Amino acid sequence: MELTIASGKGGVGKSTVASTLAIELHKRYSNVVAIDADADAPNLHLILGVDKWDREEAFTSTAVAEIDYEKCTSCGVCKDICTFRAIKRIDDRYVVNDMLCEGCRACQFACPEEAIKIKPSESGLIRIAVTKYGFPLISAKLHVGKANSGKLVMREKELAKEIGRGNVLRIVDAAAGIGCQVIASLAGSDLAILVAEPTPASLSDLKRIYALTRHFMIPVVLVINKYDLHLEHAKTIEEFANKEKIEVVGKIPYDERIPMSMAKLKPFIEEYPNSETTKSLLEIVDEIKYIYDNWKSWWLTHKPKEAKPYIPKILKPESP
Amino acid sequence: MKIAFACSGKGGLEDQISDRFGRCSSFTIVEVEEGRVKSVDVIPNPGSQAGSGAGIKAIKAVVNSGAKVIVAGSLGPNAMAAAQELGIKHVSVSGKKVKDVLNEVIAMLK
Repeated sequence: MELTIASGKGGVGKSTVASTLAIELHKRYSNVVAIDADADAPNLHLILGVDKWDREEAFTSTAVAEIDYEKCTSCGVCKDICTFRAIKRIDDRYVVNDMLCEGCRACQFACPEEAIKIKPSESGLIRIAVTKYGFPLISAKLHVGKANSGKLVMREKELAKEIGRGNVLRIVDAAAGIGCQVIASLAGSDLAILVAEPTPASLSDLKRIYALTRHFMIPVVLVINKYDLHLEHAKTIEEFANKEKIEVVGKIPYDERIPMSMAKLKPFIEEYPNSETTKSLLEIVDEIKYIYDNWKSWWLTHKPKEAKPYIPKILKPESP
Repeated sequence: MKIAFACSGKGGLEDQISDRFGRCSSFTIVEVEEGRVKSVDVIPNPGSQAGSGAGIKAIKAVVNSGAKVIVAGSLGPNAMAAAQELGIKHVSVSGKKVKDVLNEVIAMLK
């Protein structure tokens, strides 16, 4: 089973919720695999206190041009055709700048000597560590300037399936936004746990991520974090949830100690186990445990009845 | 009529139908004539290796195969938009093997 924590808006508390769920659900079910699906700005490993990785794997999804100097006649056509100005003449040679090359292959097509090859270029690293809580964490980080993609998240999920034994509970901490990497985080998930904070920006982003869950027919529950920061906005979010028939599984009070515990690289529930905030986090855990224990019947009553496609608008060229 | 089943593994009638489309492992193309299976082919999905534009590449592979129907759990926004534009139908099936739903799908499409 796969649970994905997403929000649309960044900084609302996905990783706080995701880390809490991973730790507490693993205590109870012993089958968690956590996935940090935000390769641009991973931070789940920080909260979970991971400081070294057991396994690392290079991830390639882009390619760069490579000139074969045995065939190259230094004609310079490649430099002229490159839109990204990635090929320069240095001394008497034409050289591809790996950092600027986008792998578009225009130079490869244009080269009269067929001297250009395209080689896969490493975009980032996927790494795995067994956390001190006993469950594995799959994390990823992109190299500077490299593009994120759903392919990376898919590979993380593949690895989760490889290393998990038996009935694995995958907990996916999605990235912010609704881009390809978030879509891949949601695709194939059984339940989306959406997190919002009481601000108009968060509600706006929440509607977008919710539209995506409707597209994929994934049942949804909602957590309102920092809810007492602005009770009126929190109410607006609750009204949206009621209108869409989304169950609110928890409301977490605003607590300055949450960012503080993150800075200390500790999960909040461990640093401040007796706080009201931890109590509200553990209530959310109980709600998720209930859903997990009664999955079949919960799903039957909460699954979306029909998909509501969320598709891009297609611009057609005007007919002549 | 050809039907493209999005598969999670190596493809074929015994394989699981994939929950996702754009990055599924392979497509099992089943040609049906007068309600009977005429041929079964497996093609790789170029979308599974794509850093970006996976859904579009997958649709392209389906179009090239001649299939007019896709059977998969769900299609992402881009793939869905392209399928609609090209008049390719989508039948949503989850958690089943190709052979288990083949007859139902054929009956549905009559």
